[in-house]
Amino acid sequence: MTRRIFAALALALVCSVAPLPAQIGETNNTVMVITSDASNYVLHAGGTVAKMIDDGMDGILIRIGNDEKDSWDLPPEETALRAKQESEAAAKILGINKVVSLGFRSSEFRDVPFTTMRDKLAYYIRVHKPRVLFIPNAHTQYDRNHDRYYGGRAAEDAWRAAAFKNYLPAMKDVNLSAHLTPEVYYFAPPVDPARRELESTETFVPQPKMLDISGTLDKKIKAAQALKTINHSLAMRLKQRLESTDRKLELLEQMDEASINKLIEERVRGLAQLSAKDTDLQAVEEFRYAGVEFRIPAAYR
Amino acid sequence: MQRFVPAILLLFLCAPLAADDLPLVDPPPGKVLLVAQPHHDDHTTDYGLAGLVLRFVDDGYKAYYVRGSNDEKDGRHGYPRNDMINLKETYDAVRILGMEDHVINLNWRNNYETPYALNELREQLIFLVRKYKPDAVVGHNAWEHFQKNPGHRNLGWMYEEAYWLAGYRNVHPEHFEMGVEPHETYHHFGKARLDWGLGHRPNVIMEMTEDQIKIKEKAIHAHQNVYANPGGARATKANLAAEGLYLPDLENIDDDTTAGNMMIEWHMNWISRRWGKEANVKYGEDYYYMGEFYHLPGLDNFLAENVEAK
Repeated sequence: MTRRIFAALALALVCSVAPLPAQIGETNNTVMVITSDASNYVLHAGGTVAKMIDDGMDGILIRIGNDEKDSWDLPPEETALRAKQESEAAAKILGINKVVSLGFRSSEFRDVPFTTMRDKLAYYIRVHKPRVLFIPNAHTQYDRNHDRYYGGRAAEDAWRAAAFKNYLPAMKDVNLSAHLTPEVYYFAPPVDPARRELESTETFVPQPKMLDISGTLDKKIKAAQALKTINHSLAMRLKQRLESTDRKLELLEQMDEASINKLIEERVRGLAQLSAKDTDLQAVEEFRYAGVEFRIPAAYR
Repeated sequence: MQRFVPAILLLFLCAPLAADDLPLVDPPPGKVLLVAQPHHDDHTTDYGLAGLVLRFVDDGYKAYYVRGSNDEKDGRHGYPRNDMINLKETYDAVRILGMEDHVINLNWRNNYETPYALNELREQLIFLVRKYKPDAVVGHNAWEHFQKNPGHRNLGWMYEEAYWLAGYRNVHPEHFEMGVEPHETYHHFGKARLDWGLGHRPNVIMEMTEDQIKIKEKAIHAHQNVYANPGGARATKANLAAEGLYLPDLENIDDDTTAGNMMIEWHMNWISRRWGKEANVKYGEDYYYMGEFYHLPGLDNFLAENVEAK
């Protein structure tokens, strides 16, 4: 009895800080990925997304940024164009069948009004009514690429805003009703020293979740390799750094597509091993996860 | 410097361990250190930077100081005079530390940092990284929790992006009209206070010698406009007297300003010993260090095994 009273009080508390979300209505068997930059979701969620699609879900990717900065020697316009084409190729390898590029200038998200970004994302959530969302983790620390913070913050609030009918009310006129996405995965590079620490219970805080990606690791490697402009930029910077300090990496002495692909393969395999640390698995991606447990006390599930 | 590479490897191994396993690091090989903080005195507080700066200078680095704000709020003389006195005392202190005799003064208005145009602040820092081509940068750890001062939060936050974005040709290409070239820095040391929550996760200790501690004390003394605290010293003496106690070291000092400074020194000395203890040395400063290949998690083992000298 005491547990039920506590659970009812907890539910009342949750409801008191926000309007009641729409009931879970029509939900498509879709996984929607929101990413700030081209490589972040591939490297830190690509294996899990590919597995969900292999298991029968539809996939859609929303690119917030245009990735115009990340090339070695191309102008921003050419860089953005190639990033778009290569992102579409990478997404296709993972099984994603639709890519939306919002075109916000990369590394400039800080200057974009928060609601401008959020409302565009909320619109796509309402249009596609996904069952699963992947978003950049705005709560992770020590990721020095701040687009992921701003993009993640907007995506998280879009998840919430899309679920309440009083947000974006004009959409009602075209029958775009509120949509509550039941499951959310927060992804981030594994650099935060506190990324596996529990901050509260699953009712209040998305929990650390480690998923085996050994079955889709090869697909993830190929998707990462498809981001050719970004990978070339990374390889050239690495080579320049090593040369400027009188060092070399034999792999990059004759730099070509094969050597860059090998470097990227090592990176993806290394990430999978890093995230598998302290588990019994060989290849892992790590997330913060908000599922049915989040915001619903156990007694009411 | 020989200790640097193994120390960084050790850093990765030690990541999950408690603070008392923190590795020592030396300054990495290089020539230029660019220190950027919001205030005139942030290069030498009881908590940091001066020990690290001295280590770099002793290793032959040129060290430059970027003062982000005009410091007009800090002191008792009104806005303009505070700004002038604090700038003068910045020069006094950086000379004591052996830094270059050129304070780069961005002059953003002090304590109005929250509504700053942050990308504009970041652009200034990107330009300075391109101009001075630092091998290492040190600033505030932007991930510190409960930082009440937005100057630290925002300048640290912008510097954390500026030091690597400066290497990208498509970031502010207009800078190249002024004769600078892209320059990416590969060593970032972030400073913050651990007693303000769990955001700051120091992962290295920079050791200081007894001589360096003495120089740091002198540099702290240079900031008389804000650190001279005769009222604090008098209050401490009065509180002790009320309990029937006294501090012998304060008893024969007539100048309360000197007494106030002594208390700052004691605190600085204490925190330096406290952090040194974490690495089994006498004195130290703690930092969150983002190393050469920090941005490539997953490749560090591959690079450690395959990178070789030319």
